[in-house]
Amino acid sequence: MSTEIKIKKRYLAMFLIPGFILVAIFVIGPIIGTFIISFETPNGFGLSNYYDVITETSPTKALVLLNDMPRPPPWGALIHNLVWTAIHLPATTFLGLLLAYLLRRVYGRSIVKSIMFIGMVIPMVVGGLIIRFMFDKYIGIVPNLCGLIGLTGLDKTWTSYPDTALIALIIGSIWLWTGFSLTIHAAAIDSLPKTYIEAAKIDGASDWQIFWKIIVPSVRAATLTVIVMTMLWDLKIFDIVYAATKGGPGGASTVLAFVMWLYFALDLAYGKAAAVAVILTLLTLIPAAIYIRQVMKRG
Amino acid sequence: MKVEKAVSKVAAYIIIAVIITALVTGSAVYLATRGQVHTVTTTYTYTKTVPQTQTGTSTQTTTQSPTGPTITLMVYGPWAGDEAKYFQAVINAYERLHPNIKIKYVTMRAEDLAAAMPIQFAAHTSPADVVFTPWAWWIVKMAEKGYVEDLSNVVNANEYIPSIVKKVEWNGKLWAAPFTMWLKPGFWYRKSFFEKYGLQPPKTWQDFLNLLNKLKKIPGIKHPIVSGDSTGWPLSDIVEHFIITFGGPQLQLDLISGKVKFNDPKVKEIFEKYLIPLIKNGDFSPPVEWTTAVQLWWDEKYGLYFMGTWITGMVKDPNDLAFFTLPGCRGIVGGADYAFVPKFAPHMQQALDFIKFVATKGQEIHAAQPSGKIPTWLKADPNKIWGPMKQVYMTVKEKGLQILPDLDDSVGGDWQKLFWDQLKLLWVEPDKLDQVLNTLAQHFPYKETQTSS
Repeated sequence: MSTEIKIKKRYLAMFLIPGFILVAIFVIGPIIGTFIISFETPNGFGLSNYYDVITETSPTKALVLLNDMPRPPPWGALIHNLVWTAIHLPATTFLGLLLAYLLRRVYGRSIVKSIMFIGMVIPMVVGGLIIRFMFDKYIGIVPNLCGLIGLTGLDKTWTSYPDTALIALIIGSIWLWTGFSLTIHAAAIDSLPKTYIEAAKIDGASDWQIFWKIIVPSVRAATLTVIVMTMLWDLKIFDIVYAATKGGPGGASTVLAFVMWLYFALDLAYGKAAAVAVILTLLTLIPAAIYIRQVMKRG
Repeated sequence: MKVEKAVSKVAAYIIIAVIITALVTGSAVYLATRGQVHTVTTTYTYTKTVPQTQTGTSTQTTTQSPTGPTITLMVYGPWAGDEAKYFQAVINAYERLHPNIKIKYVTMRAEDLAAAMPIQFAAHTSPADVVFTPWAWWIVKMAEKGYVEDLSNVVNANEYIPSIVKKVEWNGKLWAAPFTMWLKPGFWYRKSFFEKYGLQPPKTWQDFLNLLNKLKKIPGIKHPIVSGDSTGWPLSDIVEHFIITFGGPQLQLDLISGKVKFNDPKVKEIFEKYLIPLIKNGDFSPPVEWTTAVQLWWDEKYGLYFMGTWITGMVKDPNDLAFFTLPGCRGIVGGADYAFVPKFAPHMQQALDFIKFVATKGQEIHAAQPSGKIPTWLKADPNKIWGPMKQVYMTVKEKGLQILPDLDDSVGGDWQKLFWDQLKLLWVEPDKLDQVLNTLAQHFPYKETQTSS
């Protein structure tokens, strides 16, 4: 080991300190502060904030509301987040991968990719408003399309009805987020050696077989990144809901971050808002941990 | 080599541990002591005090500020677009009187204020010198936390409509100055539209039903009444009008105070007998974004629109506007915007002077604009009210309609959001009436409201 490397290792910690101090002040500090506030109650420190937010039954603030099932939403913000993830995650991941593969040979693919990426570039609040208009009975493309093909039950303002509000937001978010998945997957596919696909073609593999047997396994690392980032995005979702439905109607489209905002901004119950924030943080740690583990494995 | 490596590792861990410990300790100390910091007192001197006489003879003339360096006052308010333009007239008038003061107006809705300002206040800062909001309950909550400047010596509470000023009084002090007020008088229609189809404002409930049926038959009409959609307040205004009409003004007050619950049979009857049949019958449109609805209604896609008086400033020809209340109605909802000065306002003295202006002469200027507002300052000259709005005001007076507080604005908090949200649900699923009323009753903040009312 050279002397230079020895010095580097010895002083590595020293070089990390400035960055770490910044992270500590602006990230770790507030996290700790939030954690402490979540235990603050009028009677001192305790778990009552957590108890209150978990057992809350108001449709706009409930985390879980699964009585009298099966029925349309509201199911509670936590369940809405999970449903959102269950639909949005596979849809965006697969759509992005498929489009990246299909666009490979399309003339002007970079323009198409750029258009798809617009959803990622525009502010999410604007995205929420666009979703609201997309699903409006009079000016929205989706209800009008449904009306044209005879789906009269869906020829309505989706965001105004409890049975369609959540799904409208999820579909809208698929549109907004697919650009991310497409970009990451396209970069991964472009970096694959062309010989893989050429060899498969010579062996007589169809496009579909190439997609499933070569492309999907080869871009696994990129897919993992997309999955983790999408999960994090799904759990933290707020802007779209705020702009499009405000969690309604009847609490049918609330999500955890929105409930946190309600406690914080309207109820001025900072302890409860912090409790929801902690729950949300713990949930986001799951995908983050998966990702870190995979990265470390690869590393 | 191994030893050196271990030592540097240990050093790094120690540094990290020290930083985390410092942060935890710092946070704990801050949290433990922050209760004390609200007692900070300001040391400004305000020289333009208003005599607190019961006869209300305070001098309201505004004098020129002493010359000096130009000061920029930051004013936050809920108005945007044309509404901001009408408020700008007030700002311009003030700036003309005070050449050394420039006012920068920033649009911030009540909801956004409620989300952003408490954090600033908790940190003992305020980006705004003066804040306008219609949420009286929120101002009082901020005052309870010690974030708001007492205006008892700046504004004479006796010179304002009592029911309006009462909402920002707490602990024997006045925490905000009432600004102009709006009314929610009933269903608006275009006179020319009614004339074209030979329609008449209803005199009985049956007349009203007949009118809705006639409207339905007019080609191009989607629904007789357009339901404004926003965060939900346009629907709550309609509901309140039905409650006041069929339950009487006292029921509105009893619901606000929590004396009567939402699932009370007499409340349910109003919904069941009058409102729900109309929703089920398609007389109300599904919620349409409220500003879009103004245009659609004006373009005769709908016949009627229940809205506040600010609509007079939003249409092409306010002289073509008229309204009617539901037959038998004895009260209408009215509410005001309020201006307060945060305890940590950067320019306290100038902010208080501006407050004094907007609460008095500023109201006259604002009401003279097509703002759809009337003064809450009893000494304001009614002749200065903008023509179409004056007509509305005179109609309200002639009919002897009692002006009542807005239900959801009075209760406030997250219940207000729940109320709006549940009504949006009711509008699209009227069969869920029981569920909606029970939810509203179950989550009503009974104790707090009863105490404060």
